[in-house]
Amino acid sequence: MSNEDHTNHDHAHDDIGCIEAIEALYAYLDGELDDTSREDFERHMSHCRSCYSRAQMERALSERMKQEGKAKAPAELQSRLKALIDDF
Amino acid sequence: MLVLRAENLCECRCGAPAALKVRPINRATMTEADDDKTFFSRNIEENLDAFYGVALRLTGKRADAEDLVAEAIARGWTALNTLEDRHRFRPWLFRILRNCFISEYRRKSIRPVETVYDETDTGDGDVSTFLMEESDDFLRWWASPEQAFFNNVLAEDIATAMNELPESFRVTIQLVNVEGLTYDEAAEALGVPKGTVRSRMKRGRTLLQKALWAHAMDAGLTPSASKVKTDE
Repeated sequence: MSNEDHTNHDHAHDDIGCIEAIEALYAYLDGELDDTSREDFERHMSHCRSCYSRAQMERALSERMKQEGKAKAPAELQSRLKALIDDF
Repeated sequence: MLVLRAENLCECRCGAPAALKVRPINRATMTEADDDKTFFSRNIEENLDAFYGVALRLTGKRADAEDLVAEAIARGWTALNTLEDRHRFRPWLFRILRNCFISEYRRKSIRPVETVYDETDTGDGDVSTFLMEESDDFLRWWASPEQAFFNNVLAEDIATAMNELPESFRVTIQLVNVEGLTYDEAAEALGVPKGTVRSRMKRGRTLLQKALWAHAMDAGLTPSASKVKTDE
């Protein structure tokens, strides 16, 4: 990532930088940031186009991975387990 | 006349020898046992797809995944008394599933030798370090991800990229991203600190991006690859 800071410097005095935002991105998408960190992250997103588009892409990719990663247990497995549990 | 000692008489004091008495059914115990089985069965049914999905992510083979799930469920039933909080059934059984995999299937799993990552590293600085190592083409795309690239990423590209990840990253992403476990639940399922889950999620996803980028380059989907083809 370039060292160029994409932030609007008018907000720089109370804003996290792009590096810090990117480091927090995945935890944010997973709902794992505490309130303060989440607010800092969202504040940065509100005026950094680059980080915002990156976050949107990561969110879409996560959704895509969720769809592609879901599996359906085969019917044979369901029958097998029903018989197994019935014998418990 | 045979006189039985008090300790050999039926406990209900009917006078009959204890050894001959059919013990009355303890309704409370029987009800409790039924509740355990009902509880267990219901939770297995509700979460079977998730258990199978993680098993498939671990083993890479459908038949092995089915056997792994069956083994884990059998072990889970015998170890039900170790479940302290019934609301934590999912992470509890995921942990049993993974332990079964480690003890029974990992050595049979045919996977390439994996890069070992330092799990003691919290992962801070992972993403920025990763980006600093990447090419200018990737970084330009990273800074301005193109919808066209994303739309053209195929299901098999994602599946291949996931399967290429080290096992620890792969299963963590499956648990959190796909099956929706919190970091706390995933930590319990994997038997690792919460910070390790966070680190694996960061590193795993950045590695995934790298793999998808490589696939896109090979397929001519990236801007630089397209330009090369145009110039040819």
